[in-house]
Amino acid sequence: MTDGLIDQSEPLLSNEPSVALATLVAATGSTSKKVGTKMIVGESGRLIGGVTIGGCVDAQVVEAADALLEAGGRRVLSISLDDDEAWEIGLTCGGTVDVLIERVNVHDIVDPVAAAHVAARAALARGESAVIATPLDGESAALVVSEGGARHGTLGESAVDAMATTIATDVLVNGSRIAPIDHAGTSRQYFFDRQSPPTTVVIVGAGQIAMSLTRMARELDMRTIVVDGRERYATRDRFPDADEIRVGMPSEIVASIAPSKRVAVVLIAHDYKYELPVLRALLRSTVGYVGMLGSRKRGDAVRALLREEGFTDAELARIHTPIGLDIGGKSPPEVAVSILAELVAVRSGKRA
Amino acid sequence: MTAFRAIVLEHFRHPRNRGPLDDATASAEGANPLCGDRIRVQVRVAGGAIADARFTADACAICIASASVLTEHVRGMRVSDAAQVDARWIHESLEGEPPAGRVKCSTLPLDTLRRALSASDGSIP
Repeated sequence: MTDGLIDQSEPLLSNEPSVALATLVAATGSTSKKVGTKMIVGESGRLIGGVTIGGCVDAQVVEAADALLEAGGRRVLSISLDDDEAWEIGLTCGGTVDVLIERVNVHDIVDPVAAAHVAARAALARGESAVIATPLDGESAALVVSEGGARHGTLGESAVDAMATTIATDVLVNGSRIAPIDHAGTSRQYFFDRQSPPTTVVIVGAGQIAMSLTRMARELDMRTIVVDGRERYATRDRFPDADEIRVGMPSEIVASIAPSKRVAVVLIAHDYKYELPVLRALLRSTVGYVGMLGSRKRGDAVRALLREEGFTDAELARIHTPIGLDIGGKSPPEVAVSILAELVAVRSGKRA
Repeated sequence: MTAFRAIVLEHFRHPRNRGPLDDATASAEGANPLCGDRIRVQVRVAGGAIADARFTADACAICIASASVLTEHVRGMRVSDAAQVDARWIHESLEGEPPAGRVKCSTLPLDTLRRALSASDGSIP
């Protein structure tokens, strides 16, 4: 777990009745992690994840977490990065980070935060995003609002839950943030933590690049579905890390996968017999990314054929080809790195 | 360009009878295990004759052209007569034989049609 949810089945948590959960709730300046990133500090001293790039800042969070595990409760730790090594290496401004640290009884379903993470994980399993709202101070409480409209837990009062639900609806679209809720003459700050299902990478063509992709995608919290028409290639032996392996008519398999912005299709068969039918099935769907292995010239030839069939320039422009970022690699693992780099860039909004 | 290539390309770009057959009475799917051609041939048999035949394929140009000429040819044919169609007829229709390593691309639709017809009435060996 780095920026996702507590996973009670995580082996490292099996002997941790309670942990300190540290969540990056606000950041300014040049922090490298995104809001919502988490770190778990166990009573035994175990560390999972990290809220900053590491070094002295993470160390301060760990120290605060250790103290909180003894004393209980929750707090927001504000750290100015100017105070750390920024000045030491001549940077004028490193920014600031606010980290919410709270004690969570991981395996106790009555613990509101533990229960919220279970509910959010269930929403993700249904393919829905979810928002966990938690107060930055006072008693522990949590409300989960999922994309489908389901709610779980409470922030204490129904009026507060209603206002939090309205904010969560906005957070589902615009991302995690802190927001105040005014109620009964007081104002309280809450962190709204958006969790989204992982990107699903549909890999058409069960060759060597696909083998590297499935191994590496797992590290990036991406699901993989390997698709091919050839039983001998698309085997569990060759793809032990793939979440799914599907053999059949590739265009029909791809069309059967519910399209969404979180689905990326990478065509790496390097064979028009799969590329053309799969692209016909995809270019008018709402998948978030379509990439095709091959040179620019080859990409132009495929586009020309599809243009003849009535696909528009806008539809054809959706095909990323040559696929991946240009990092100069040629071997299958290197090509896989460049493809995943492009998928990360799309996921983080750096590339359309 | 040879006649073979011209015919294959014409059928590849404008395949006849491509797409699912909603009221099929029999269907078979075939694949070339290494090159990856996959095809489904569907037929509607009525009164011992092939009333309709269509195919769906993620396949190469030769395979699609072969399926295109084949389904055109067997529509309206008696099932027993369709059983007599062979690879030679396919290659004559395409006005040439594929390169040695690609012959199986041209015969996959024929093999798959035979299996579909066999599933239909059991009369095709």
